This record gives sequence, C-alpha cells and structure tokens, in this order.
Amino acid sequence: MEFLNLVIIFIAAWLVLRKPHKERLAFGLLVVSVLLMVFLFSFATRTGLLPGVNY
Amino acid sequence: MRRDVLYTILALAVLALAVIPVGVAVFVLGFVYGDSPCVMCWEQRIGMALVALVGLFVLRYGPKPKYLGMAVLVAIWGVFMGIRHTGMHAARDVGQGFSAEILGAHTYTWALFIYWVSVATMGVLLLMTKKEDIEDQPRTLRPLEWLAGVVFLVVIAGNIVQAFASTGPPPFMGQSDPVRFSFNPTHWVWSLEEWSRAPISLRGRWSIDKPDVAAVPSEPGAGPLADLPVLSVKTQSKLTLPLAGTPTDLAYDPATSQFLVTTQQGIYLADETLGKVNRYTVIDVGFAVDLGQFGGAAFLDKGALIAVGENKSYVVLEPNDKTDADANFRYFLESFDKFNEVSRSRFGTVRARMMYAMSAAYDPATKSVYTVTVPNNKVKRLVISRFGPDLTLSEEFLPTIAAESGLKLTGKRTLDEFYVTGTAIVDGRMYAISAAYNTLLTIDLHARAVVAAHAIPGLVRPTGIALKGEDLYIVGESGALWVVARPPN
Repeated sequence: MEFLNLVIIFIAAWLVLRKPHKERLAFGLLVVSVLLMVFLFSFATRTGLLPGVNY
Repeated sequence: MRRDVLYTILALAVLALAVIPVGVAVFVLGFVYGDSPCVMCWEQRIGMALVALVGLFVLRYGPKPKYLGMAVLVAIWGVFMGIRHTGMHAARDVGQGFSAEILGAHTYTWALFIYWVSVATMGVLLLMTKKEDIEDQPRTLRPLEWLAGVVFLVVIAGNIVQAFASTGPPPFMGQSDPVRFSFNPTHWVWSLEEWSRAPISLRGRWSIDKPDVAAVPSEPGAGPLADLPVLSVKTQSKLTLPLAGTPTDLAYDPATSQFLVTTQQGIYLADETLGKVNRYTVIDVGFAVDLGQFGGAAFLDKGALIAVGENKSYVVLEPNDKTDADANFRYFLESFDKFNEVSRSRFGTVRARMMYAMSAAYDPATKSVYTVTVPNNKVKRLVISRFGPDLTLSEEFLPTIAAESGLKLTGKRTLDEFYVTGTAIVDGRMYAISAAYNTLLTIDLHARAVVAAHAIPGLVRPTGIALKGEDLYIVGESGALWVVARPPN
C-alpha cells in the first residue's frame, strides 16, 4: 500500500510541475494520499491507537 | 523582493525535507545500508513527503488557505505519529531502541523533531505572508524552485523502488518487523500480516482496569488450590475508629503497641485494641507524586511508616509532635501537626510492571518493604517484589508451591488467580490474605515458595492483615474485623 501511496504522490508532484493547469486533480490526489496515510498508520496501530505511554 | 525571499525559503525547505530525511532514508540508509522502514516508519516518511509536496503546491499556486491548512494538518498528524512511535520505545534503557540510531537518537525520534520543525517553519512563513501574496494564476517556477521539484520527484521515485521491493504492490503493506532491503527479488518479503484480525483499542496494553476487591470470587472451595484446611474465625467485630473512607490495609507494631490503618487517603495510628486513634493525617494524594489511593501500609524502623498506593507510589511518614503545621500544609489535607513527610516517590518494578498492588509489608530482618501484585484484565501474575533499605527494587519473584506443603493446584489453575490485598511478615514468612477465594497463603520468602494455605470462610472483601502476637487481624472493606489464629506452619 505504501507503494501505491508513493505513486500517487509522484503523479501529484508531476502534475504540479508539468501540468499546472490540472491543479484540482493534483490537489485531489494529495487529499487521497493524505487520507491513505492516515488510514494505514491508524490501521497499523489499531491495537493501541494512542501513544503507548503512561497517561 | 519580499515575495521572492519567501519563495526562496520555501524552495529551500522543500529541498531540505526531500533530501535530508526522505532522500537520505532511501538512498543512504535503504540502498546503501539495507535499512527497511517498519510500517509506521513508512507512514512517517510518506507524511514528510506530503509536507514537501504541499510546499510544491505553494511554490506553484501561491499560499492558498487550503494548501496551508493541509500542510498544518499533515504536519500535526506527523507529530502525532512521531509521539505514537517514539512512545513505544521512550521508556527503554539508555541506548536501547528500534532500528538505526542517528546522532544519538533513533529514526522515529528524528521524525518527531522534523515534523515539529516543519510546523514551526510554517508558522514563520505564515507570519511573513500577506494577502496580496495569494496568486490567481499558476506561478512560473524559478530555477531553484524547479530544482526542488525535480529533486522531490527523484527522491519519491527512489522511495517507490524501495516500497515495491520492501512492501510490494497493493494489497501488501509494510511490516511491523521489516526485512533487510535488497535489490535481489529472492530476498523480498511481501506480507499481508498487518491485515490480520486484531482488536481495536485506544490504549492497548495500557488499558488496565483499576483493582477492585468487589469484583473477585470469594468462595474458598472455588479456588485454584484443592482441599485446603480451614482456619476458623475466632472473633468478628467491626472497627469503630472514625475513619475517612474504608480500610485498605492494616499493620501492627509490637514496639509501640499500635495498629496502623489506612483508608484511601487516610493514615491512622490506633491503640492496640483498635478502639482509639492516637494520631492521624489525611494525605493530599494528588500533590506532586500521584499516590492514587492507598492499598498497603507498614511500619518501618524507628517508628516511621510507609503507605503504598495501589499504583506502587508511596509516602514515608514519621510521627512528630513538634512538627511545623504550616510547613505541612502542602502535604496533608487534615491534621497537619502529627507527622513529618519524609519522602514520597514510586517503586519501580520489572515483573510486577503493569500491575497494581494492594498490600505492603515490612521485613525488619532485611529492612525491606514487600508488595504483592493483583491480577488485572491484561496481566495475570502473582509477583512478590522486595524493595531494600533504599526503597529500590532488590528482588522479585513468582512464588512456587513447596513440594513438602502437600498443596495441589486443580487442573490448569495457577497461583496467579489469587488477589492478595494484605500481607504481614514475621521470621521470613509472609502471610498473604487473598480476597479471591478467601485464602491465607503462607509464603517462605527465602525459599520463594508457598508452604501452606488455609481457607478462611466468612470473610467479606478482606483488604488488610496484621500479625499481633499469635493472632492474625484481618480487616475488610466494610470495616469488619476478623481475628484468626496464626497457622501452625
């Protein structure tokens, strides 16, 4: 899944640099990538979502 | 001019973010040293790439609010990821950690720092930004800005290669314990392990219930030890002492012929009949070291006493009739002029970690304080900890059953099921009363073994025990007081 997310990031950056008129698409990819990152981290830490320290 | 400076700073920040953490991680640590990120490191690395990507958006489209908002959101999520990851290892011993150490800190710690710097940098850039900086049309990138973009693409391309080798295409994802990176496909491990079913929890292993003596079964016959001899209650009465709260432990000092009774916050010295309070105080348990509520208490040498919280934090007091009541205002909630607070700190444990304790006893022979754990919803172990004269962990063990005791566990039951709420020590023997199954365990502290056990029918939620002469005094949560004869062995 990290591979997929990095590909999305690459495409978004490519659009920003080479196809600047596709701003909406690039931003959409950015949002998808952020959500995917949040989901994957949360999923990987679902057995203890909060930092595992003494509160 | 000001605007050019701003974009130059931003381009340099994107370059720095792309090259130093994300680029070095893949090209140096990954491709040169074979380091592979764990699943959490991957997301932290991707978060840094996303902050840099938002920087590229701003370089191209200007500081639009949605980009700035996104950058802040990603960076604070990164700070959270850094705390979450660092928290797993923050309490380890010096030098210990997970994966590589760079300049004295492990990689996940650097992630926390980098995100923190990112947020700070954004704040500075926002302070310097003005309304007229918002662009209507995409900007034409200057050479430095192009360089930042191209370097970013190269770094992301490198990461794509590493991610494909280390984690694989979807649905494969990163691993908790990653495999060394290699360009050789025969060494690649693509795993679906992270997708396996697992319970969802906010605090995970830290989600431990507070001890509750009311929640344990009391019937002796249902306990893990079979066919126990019975100790009969000689007398049963009720404490008439004016206590604030319910009794949580009991101790007796033959030198001063006084009982020590604790409640949740109160410490009481009573006469040998338990009929009159000689002196007392109520501790401000939430001041400085959090003492929670007292679960155990014991007399130390020379009249001093210790009260131990269920969280294994403790306070040591000395009776003193000439103490400065005003100076004690900070420590106590009532009766300021009867004790000095000598120290207040915490017991550190190893095997007893992540467990509460509801008892404390003092062994004059070794000048040590003992605690015994109670099982909880996460950890079920009967651990006896000894803290030497410096009140530092000196010994810790899980008692066995002495062969000569004749005691037998039923089926696959264990001693860990006992719920010790009170202990007393004499001549190297610990008498431990368990609220679970109303059982008195006699433990040889030298042999580290249970040498005898007795059922005491009729107890209701016992919370403390003291030895006076040849009698054991057992106090209950409701204030009940039972007296039984000390067992012969």
